Amino acid sequence: MKIWLTMEKGARIRFTGHLDLMRTMQRALRRSGLPVRYSQGFNPHMLLNAAAPLSLGMPGLREIIEVPVGEEITPEAFQERLNAALPPDLRCRAARALPDEHAAPMALLRAARYLMDLDEEQQASAACVAALPGMLAADTLPAVRKTKTGEKPCDVRPMIYEAQAMGPHTVCATLALCEAGTLKPDLFLSVLAGLAGVDKPDAFVTRLQLYAMQDGALIRLEES
Amino acid sequence: MDPAQERAIEKLLEKVEKPARYTGGEMNTQVRPWNEAEMHFAFCFADTYEIGMSYLGMKILVSLINSLPYMSCERVFMPWVDFRAGLKEKQIPLFSLESRKGLNEFDVIGFSLQYEMSYTNILDMLDLGHVPVRAADRGENDPLVFAGGPCACNPEPLAAFFDAFQIGDGEEMMVEFLDTLHACRKEGLSRSETLMRLAQIEGVYVPRFYEPSYHADGTLSAFTRTDERAPETVRRRILKDFSNAFYPDTFPVPYTDIVFDRIVLEIMRGCTRGCRFCQAGMIYRPVRERSMDRIIELAEKLEAATGYEEMSLSSLSSGDYSCLKELIVALMDRFQEKRVSVSLPSMRVDNLVKQSLEELSRVHKSGLTVAVEAGTQRLRDVINKGVTEEDVLRSVTDAFDSGYSTVKLYFMTGLPTETDEDLRGIGDLARKVVSAYYSIPKERRAKGLRVTCSASVFVPKPFTPFQWAAQDSIGTVMEKQSHLRDYLKMKGVTFNWHDPSLSFLEACISRGDRRVGEVIYTAWRDGCILDGWSEHFKYDVWLKAFEKCGLDTAFYANRERPYDELLPWAFIDMGVTQRYLQLENERAKKAQTTKDCRKGCNGCGLQRYEGLCNV
Repeated sequence: MKIWLTMEKGARIRFTGHLDLMRTMQRALRRSGLPVRYSQGFNPHMLLNAAAPLSLGMPGLREIIEVPVGEEITPEAFQERLNAALPPDLRCRAARALPDEHAAPMALLRAARYLMDLDEEQQASAACVAALPGMLAADTLPAVRKTKTGEKPCDVRPMIYEAQAMGPHTVCATLALCEAGTLKPDLFLSVLAGLAGVDKPDAFVTRLQLYAMQDGALIRLEES
Repeated sequence: MDPAQERAIEKLLEKVEKPARYTGGEMNTQVRPWNEAEMHFAFCFADTYEIGMSYLGMKILVSLINSLPYMSCERVFMPWVDFRAGLKEKQIPLFSLESRKGLNEFDVIGFSLQYEMSYTNILDMLDLGHVPVRAADRGENDPLVFAGGPCACNPEPLAAFFDAFQIGDGEEMMVEFLDTLHACRKEGLSRSETLMRLAQIEGVYVPRFYEPSYHADGTLSAFTRTDERAPETVRRRILKDFSNAFYPDTFPVPYTDIVFDRIVLEIMRGCTRGCRFCQAGMIYRPVRERSMDRIIELAEKLEAATGYEEMSLSSLSSGDYSCLKELIVALMDRFQEKRVSVSLPSMRVDNLVKQSLEELSRVHKSGLTVAVEAGTQRLRDVINKGVTEEDVLRSVTDAFDSGYSTVKLYFMTGLPTETDEDLRGIGDLARKVVSAYYSIPKERRAKGLRVTCSASVFVPKPFTPFQWAAQDSIGTVMEKQSHLRDYLKMKGVTFNWHDPSLSFLEACISRGDRRVGEVIYTAWRDGCILDGWSEHFKYDVWLKAFEKCGLDTAFYANRERPYDELLPWAFIDMGVTQRYLQLENERAKKAQTTKDCRKGCNGCGLQRYEGLCNV
């Protein structure tokens, strides 16, 4: 049996890197005394599986982490005991029990929704929000993606599922996030700023939700 | 912080190295809300987060202060240069991690003094926190700023910057200090009257009630009270009931890497060995053990509260703990199932090494570190380091035989009476350690021999038998280091050495008087901060600061002081008497050793006070 946890990583700890966060989860699970399964072998370790690491500096409201467990336990009890052992800025919002055969969260992940609070003190911010309809009307959006191996030209339009203005300096967008292709909020904003003819404004980005794909439509990852 | 400052901090965090140093919120660091505490304490550590969070004393005291019903204690660390520049530019005061309050909003600010070369950071943190740097410039409404920790045993170089010092064990003194301060606040006493009340507490020193005067040659002529109500001698505070003293049952668990990220159990305080260069060995006397039951109880609570997978037993000389083996076995039995490893730093090589290594290797395997300190038996006798070549070779052979291939040997250069022969001795010993490795049959020993020889530079410290000694000049140290490099050129051996200029300044400050405070101030004002970090150490600025203040570095570091000279720290009774230190220094000159005092009292002075020393 395994448990999928829906975790909130709060703004205060947004600079905790992925590995540090996983270590924090492991220590919390140890404190909780929950029946987590360890790997076999010389150096046994907990087999935690995160859907997608968060970028440094980005809070996440509904992040999915999979934990294999060794004994039957109700998801409600698991959530309660874990929350009692977690630091205040890291919370478990929901838990769901699944059979071991169920696919890993990373394998099902297709997209994520982001809230981008643009710096209201920068003029570029309003210009970017104003350029949003034009961006969505475009058939192609050529951009240059920086990868480990160099810079690659690409079209980011198919990787934008939806985007909308939420206020004079705020944009919300659902962007592809999977092995086949990922559009990071940073590149999204660069393209948007390019269309608006301004420098990319500073932004405070929160990841709101992760999605899987079912019958051609996005569904919440925790429900997949 | 107002909302604009909060926004500025968030923006700044985006741009700096290791931002998690400044954000707090770690497990077990939650304090009462700001408005629910009557008094606020900022516990300051004058180095970065990773160093400060590794320090046990801070964990003990922060936890202790937060246990007082009227107090709230928050942490403040020295920011790195990038964050510091941002704070200055935006005029944001240096703030606490818990509630993000500027240092200037606290009632009390306490610094832990661990290292002389972090003193400029203290001045910088006060200044960044918008608190007047000099005690004389602080008014009735400014925070009360004080310090404690090992370097407080010579408080004089920092006398101008602190309102008070706590000298000795903090567990009881801190509570008395804060209770008194709390009462003074309620009575509405003035700053000066409050300080006089605090000066009555055993272990507390308030510099404003004392005044030094000097001879024409620069030496101290008198150290007098300006107010007869202050005690003539400040007696170090000594904790009697160590077993039952306050110890935290939770530790903060950082999100990011710190230097020592584990449970630390202080099993013993003090040391009976009497190494003559060692300040800790003198100023933490008498030796006091924590009971095994109490250690196990704390280990269980801390493991449950932290989820750490490692615990280390800490003391000055853990091998001297009377039931060490029983303790290790009990801890292992209890925690093996939970995969918690137990490590044991500070082991001397002259007792039960092999047995302990075998016990430990049931869970964890690391390298062996041996503090040999000197290259010949003669010099080891001078410093009273009761370790022989046989001890060293036996323990490294045992270690190689149990599967270790990494050995670290620690030495000091510049010890009193050192000659070239002693330096050659270091080379000879390293060669014998290499042979010990090859004496183990190939199929039994681990591959890849690595012997690291580190040589630090001897710094004479107050309250040690060598407190009168001259430090070698930088030129002499460099010459010795270059000889050592030649003597240690052999396969499998690496040689590390310290920057002699840093040790030289450490010597100037550690035995400094009140006038050295002006040097520290000048160096800081001229740009010295983070001196302990080689990339920020500005030796030339320090030298100029001495010049500007009209003081001679050699007067403090390289001069042998006569016994009849009044030492700047002589007004403190540390427990060990000056007479005993003198006797020990004389024995050192004759290379006579002094026995471990558990084999019989050597008369160091601790037994002057009834019930303190039961050795």
